[in-house]
Amino acid sequence: MKPRPPAMRAKRRYILARILPYGVAWDQKQVYLSVIEAATSLWGDAAIGFAQPAVVFCDGGYIVVRCRRGTEKDIATALATVNAIADARVALRTVATSGTIHALRRRMKPIRPLSEAGEVKFGETYFTVYRYPRQKVDLVEKGIKHQKSLFFTEVDLEER
Amino acid sequence: MKITDASIHPYPVGDSTLARMALEAAGLGFDSIVAIGDVGHRPDGPEVLRGAVISAASQKEVIKQVREPAARRADVVYVNAGDISFNRSIVTLKGVHVVRSIHATRRNAFDHVAARSAAEHNVAVDLSMAPIIQLRGTKRQRALQRYTDILSLQRRYGFPLTISSGARSILEQRSVRDLRGLCALFGMTGEEVSEALSSIDRITRPDQPVKVVR
Repeated sequence: MKPRPPAMRAKRRYILARILPYGVAWDQKQVYLSVIEAATSLWGDAAIGFAQPAVVFCDGGYIVVRCRRGTEKDIATALATVNAIADARVALRTVATSGTIHALRRRMKPIRPLSEAGEVKFGETYFTVYRYPRQKVDLVEKGIKHQKSLFFTEVDLEER
Repeated sequence: MKITDASIHPYPVGDSTLARMALEAAGLGFDSIVAIGDVGHRPDGPEVLRGAVISAASQKEVIKQVREPAARRADVVYVNAGDISFNRSIVTLKGVHVVRSIHATRRNAFDHVAARSAAEHNVAVDLSMAPIIQLRGTKRQRALQRYTDILSLQRRYGFPLTISSGARSILEQRSVRDLRGLCALFGMTGEEVSEALSSIDRITRPDQPVKVVR
């Protein structure tokens, strides 16, 4: 099939968002489903049908959401209402909006743990400790399912 | 002009410590935050104000709780909204700064009489973003309706508004830009959002007449 000439294609905008908590590999389809659920719930089928949001990139703690030009503010607002991806609590932080994915790639700064994961015990519960820049410490309960997460700083951890 | 998140609930109520939430708030564009509950050690970074929430059924109870040490130590005192007569009375009380949880009240629970009194006594109404972010369907629609109603009263009578994330976790905190988008859902303009985000500073430090110091 012959592609449409560029002048006849719909203009797109790309929104870069960071996924919190850090260090989890998210499935692109699950992210898409969460974004669509939040956007449709907020703006309705007609508006989202027009905006055509799609998750075109999902890696390294970042996602890129594509939408029709002119609807990027609405989609960014909808991203703020995303609470969970596949039953896991998350937050999407909008970083930038651009007309090209290339421009957004320059804004992606991978966030990796500073050192090897440690271990700490609070009461009867064991937590895995992940340290991140700016003295951020994420504690993830050890277990198989529905692990509890705590968000501390290095100072908080020392004081306990 | 200090951009303030008017209420957060740090650990142990939530899953994030005050220091971590303050760090996150600074990254999200806030100059100060109001932490509900026992603040303890105030971390570096954005200014942390102490908030106290009063939940009572009658005006008498509110007066009693406002005089308690926990409320007297607090920088900002919140009272959970109730029915129409309760709301009319609490906005006139000395020591009450903000009326919160307005989305959970019945329609017209905060009416034009309460709005006028709130403006006269410089008592703010808090617009929590938590119901807009967390809820879906009719519950969220009801919250948006309530906020639209409050906004129309605010435009008429000029009482202060505050905007809060009501976050119990860093995952529930939102950036200033996100808050602007969310507030636009019920018709708030950018200027009104800026004013509401900076109103905590004006409530806690109201304009005083100039004093001559000798």
